[in-house]
Amino acid sequence: MVERKEWYKLDLSAIVYPTLQRRDFSSVYRLSVLLKEEIQPELLQKALDRTMPRFPTYKVAIRRGLFWRYMEPNDRPGPFVKPDIGNPCQPMSFRGQNRYLVRVYYYHNRISFEAHHSLGDGTGGMCLLMTLTAEYLRLLGHEEIKNGGFVLDVNEKPDPEELEDAYMRYAKSKICPPRPGEKTYRVRGTKEPFYTLNIIDGIMPTSEVVKVSKKYQASITEYLNAVLLYALLQKQAEDRHFSLRPVRIAMPVNLRRFFPSKTLRNFITMVYPGVDPRLGEYTFEEIVTQVHHYMRYYVNDKFLRADITTNARTQSHPLIRIVPLFIKDLVVRSFYAKVQDRNSSAGLTNMGAMAVDESMKPYIERFDICMGQPFSSRTNCAVISFQDTLTINFASSIVEADVERYFFRKLVKDGIHVKIESNREEPDYHLNKLLREE
Amino acid sequence: MSYCVNCGVELDDSAKACPLCNTPVLNPNEMLKANAIAPFPKEKAPVEEIRRTDLGWLVSTVALATAVTCGMLNWLVFRQNLWSLAVIGACVLIWVILFPLVIYHKWTPYIYLLLDGATLLLYLYLIARMVEKYEWYDGLGIPIVLWTLAVLELLTFAGRRLPKGILAGGLYFFTALAMLCVGIEVIIDDYLEGPISLGWSAVVLTVCVIIDIAIITMLSRRRLRDAVRRRLHF
Repeated sequence: MVERKEWYKLDLSAIVYPTLQRRDFSSVYRLSVLLKEEIQPELLQKALDRTMPRFPTYKVAIRRGLFWRYMEPNDRPGPFVKPDIGNPCQPMSFRGQNRYLVRVYYYHNRISFEAHHSLGDGTGGMCLLMTLTAEYLRLLGHEEIKNGGFVLDVNEKPDPEELEDAYMRYAKSKICPPRPGEKTYRVRGTKEPFYTLNIIDGIMPTSEVVKVSKKYQASITEYLNAVLLYALLQKQAEDRHFSLRPVRIAMPVNLRRFFPSKTLRNFITMVYPGVDPRLGEYTFEEIVTQVHHYMRYYVNDKFLRADITTNARTQSHPLIRIVPLFIKDLVVRSFYAKVQDRNSSAGLTNMGAMAVDESMKPYIERFDICMGQPFSSRTNCAVISFQDTLTINFASSIVEADVERYFFRKLVKDGIHVKIESNREEPDYHLNKLLREE
Repeated sequence: MSYCVNCGVELDDSAKACPLCNTPVLNPNEMLKANAIAPFPKEKAPVEEIRRTDLGWLVSTVALATAVTCGMLNWLVFRQNLWSLAVIGACVLIWVILFPLVIYHKWTPYIYLLLDGATLLLYLYLIARMVEKYEWYDGLGIPIVLWTLAVLELLTFAGRRLPKGILAGGLYFFTALAMLCVGIEVIIDDYLEGPISLGWSAVVLTVCVIIDIAIITMLSRRRLRDAVRRRLHF
């Protein structure tokens, strides 16, 4: 039996997210599952109460120590399910909502789960959401739902491997490559008031995307990356800058694919596929080729291990460890704002095809994933697919939707049937706002 | 089922315009789809306000501890005069100024400013009592505090009620600065019983007027204002 831990250290990625915390920004992501029936809030709450104890690293509060932040188990009442809101991924204070860093919402047939990124990455969050959904469906009387895959057994004790900081286990490269640090193109736009997050969802048949990707001899991720780069290049060309900048995408890679671990906490690292328009004009085919070769070259256990070793070495350096937390916060925040954030023009994450047990498939319509509010005024793109439905979600906090428009128009041009859903306000609202400002 | 004529994407039944390019949806065959469920709820939730009670307690305890220990020290050890009153008054003043920041921020800022002014007046009175000289308090202390208070209240009003923006903010600030300096010099001249004439404050006034005129020109000329915004955006 696993003894309940009194506290947890933040993992290697999780250290960064709380330092970026502002009144108007938190690293919060959202995962949603759309079922085929209306959600019953009472049963969902019951299912959530049964699910949370199985995930001790999500039932926590974040507190400040002298040198590092840490997580401690949270036994306050909650979290409570709430009706969904039009401005998702709101900033999440460490002291609000009984110190819980997860939120669960329902809207018609959709269950949405939001979590602070310092608790875990998309895979960990998806395990919680799927276990919650399975438990909810069982409460509805569908007893045949099986555990397995993302669905964990709520009656089981948590496996210690689920709670580990897997970075430390695998950060054993002999060399540490330097971090890339070149300024890239940044999307500029009119900022929305801070409680607004604009979402545009593109829903399309997976089979069509697979067909088009095959035509370009690339995987879905490579193809979508190339389309986003293409959209950003178009946007940069339209902006008419004096000097062009490279366009690069920050893409998280799930390290569990390369380094086996059951961890439910963060276990991702970033790769940065991109093109440099200063070298000349790229055709779309050339962008696909560039992204394809970049991914094949960098996304393998050797390079990724070296990459996480660089981060782990920084964290375990004795001089860095004895510096008080508030100084670390200042340094990390300014490093992030000046280097890390400018290192990429947009974010793109692909959760891939959701593996769902046969017993659960009939009840699920599709999934949705939202990367949450971007740190600066750019667009974050997230992709997830389930059976023949692929959902591409754009989240941004600027009024202009140029990148999204170029992106989806390219997909339509390539022959993919795209359906758009959005929480954006009607255009006359924007027009009125502009007129009022005049 | 409608498609955007511009982007070629299928749109949600509840959409009145394409979210990508803002082109309105006009489908004559399906005018009555008002009941379609929107993909996202319309209601927005406000961001949760966090009560900073811990910081409030810390500030209150530190202020109280400083006041009490200084009072005891004055009473038991250094008994020459009532020096501890100055420290205690300062603690009260700091506590009142920090009150809206860390303890209670539901009232309007006008009330907090009034409270700050009243406490400052009391504190100055305390010092006047200690040194037993009241002329400076009547002649300088009260008028300067009242004048500063009035200017700050006006500035707060302008910031909250009048048009907002970086340029407009600058206009209010420099106008307030000029008013404050001119007022203070008049009060000082009056206290020294000399003829009331503008000296150093005339320089501040001139600079502020020049800046104000520049800002007003920029604000009134739309093209100029847009150019300034374009060049100064960050």
